[in-house]
Amino acid sequence: MKPIIALENVSFSYKINENNSVSVLKDISFSIFPGEYVAIIGHNGSGKSTLSKHLNGLLTPGSGDVWVHGYNTKDDSKKLDIRRGVGMVFQHPDNQIVATIVEEDVAFGLENIGVPRAEMKQRIDEALEVVKMSEFRKRPPHHLSGGQKQRVAIAGVLAMRPDCIVFDESTSMLDTFGRNEVLQVMRQMNEMGMTIITVTHRMSEAAEADRIIVVEDGKIVMDGNPREIFKHKEMLMQLQLDIPAVSQMAEMVHNKIPTFSKELIHEDELINEVNRVSKARS
Amino acid sequence: MASEFELSRNITIGQYVPTDSFIHRLDPRIKLLVFTILVLAIALNTSYLGNALGLLLAIYLFWASKIPISYGLSGIKPAIPFIIILAVLQLIFQGNVFSGGTVFFEYGFILITSESIRLVIVSAVRFVEIILLSSVLTLSTSTTDLTHAIQSLLSPLKKIKFPVHEISLIITIAIRFVPTFAIEMEKMMKAQASRGADFGSGEWWRIIQRTKDMLPIIIPLFNIALSRAEDLILAMESRCYTPGNDRSSYSVYQSIGRDYIVLVIGLLISALLLFYHFPF
Repeated sequence: MKPIIALENVSFSYKINENNSVSVLKDISFSIFPGEYVAIIGHNGSGKSTLSKHLNGLLTPGSGDVWVHGYNTKDDSKKLDIRRGVGMVFQHPDNQIVATIVEEDVAFGLENIGVPRAEMKQRIDEALEVVKMSEFRKRPPHHLSGGQKQRVAIAGVLAMRPDCIVFDESTSMLDTFGRNEVLQVMRQMNEMGMTIITVTHRMSEAAEADRIIVVEDGKIVMDGNPREIFKHKEMLMQLQLDIPAVSQMAEMVHNKIPTFSKELIHEDELINEVNRVSKARS
Repeated sequence: MASEFELSRNITIGQYVPTDSFIHRLDPRIKLLVFTILVLAIALNTSYLGNALGLLLAIYLFWASKIPISYGLSGIKPAIPFIIILAVLQLIFQGNVFSGGTVFFEYGFILITSESIRLVIVSAVRFVEIILLSSVLTLSTSTTDLTHAIQSLLSPLKKIKFPVHEISLIITIAIRFVPTFAIEMEKMMKAQASRGADFGSGEWWRIIQRTKDMLPIIIPLFNIALSRAEDLILAMESRCYTPGNDRSSYSVYQSIGRDYIVLVIGLLISALLLFYHFPF
């Protein structure tokens, strides 16, 4: 299978002044394949956000190459094709809405790529339907909650029909309710075949993914499925990361009751395990 | 006390009163065009009768758009000091320029004539008319419609390479962020006040003091605005925004019969105000 996004030996540094620069990404290589649900985790300053901005050419690597659908992100003439293919939802709900009315904002990206009006309307309907915001289409964005704004931002990206969406800490400014709304939409889109890349420092969100990439000091230190990654509790702790609350709880129970599995990452697994163990004991 | 922090509630820009009247349903392009011409015509008319006509028209438009006139009057309120200052200045200094008519009063350089009194009264009434007219326009048109109207009225300027789309995008974003910044400013005022800062307790005429009081708010607000702008640029770029590119447009307006009738009536009234020699 051909990857959607491929990074080859990507290095990147921010220039501070003439002589000094800070190296943020160091020789990173990995590929993202169609339909994957990938979480990129790392503590603050690990370079995960810089990494995410390389995925649709907002930043281009200092050395190495990023290929999106076979186009090099350094090729300016392909920039629009790349961004049509890989959409991005950002952290702050307020800072990514351009228009004064929800549906106009969803239309913004479509206007940019010159979609004819008749098709635009259909695409907007569909996108708002997926994020369940259809009834808010005529509302001004400042009357919406954080989670709703973020869903409008997702609709704006979705309407451009990308095959991959990058979420750059898109849930970190939201309350629990808003976060769950957005996570639900992400999961649903992934089930529809969309490739999802989420940058996060919440382990419970990372546990939702099929694959976790752990970034530390501009390098990839772990890459694997959540169950494998969360086995390495000590290592994650060293990287100032954590394991999901569910895993912590399972471990605590495991220490008292050795038959209780400690390798759990989802809530429903925890419930099943409690049922299984309590039935076995009674 | 609490109310002085509630900025977002007092925003009148983009205040839209959806009564779905005939005026609301007009094509916003035609509406903007007619209102602009009417305001120009009123600004150039110097007769009592002409301005009385303008005032009646403005009041009629409020009635026709089913918007309570109190909305318009609340727009006039903050302008009253300006109207008074303007009137006083005109009364004192303009007598020599508009020296026609009967002389009522003369002392040193102060000269008050029937013509200068006419000027004072007419400009005060004109002020009120223009505020009322522009209130009807903004109260009956959503900001989105208004920016689209501006964009399409300016679009002929594209021929001379005027960045019409960019300008209208700038207007849209500016309007879009007014409530956001109002909320931001509210938060900051509360934060500063909770650390002992003092806002708005100074007397209103101590303008310098009151301006100084605002500095600890204004500077962080600029800071926030710039960082928001940076985020917004990234978000716009990743949604394929390229300045200067041809874009398609989601909103399309279609003028129908009544729009043209309104246009013709508006032009006729404007022509009347501009060219008819009112006897009074």
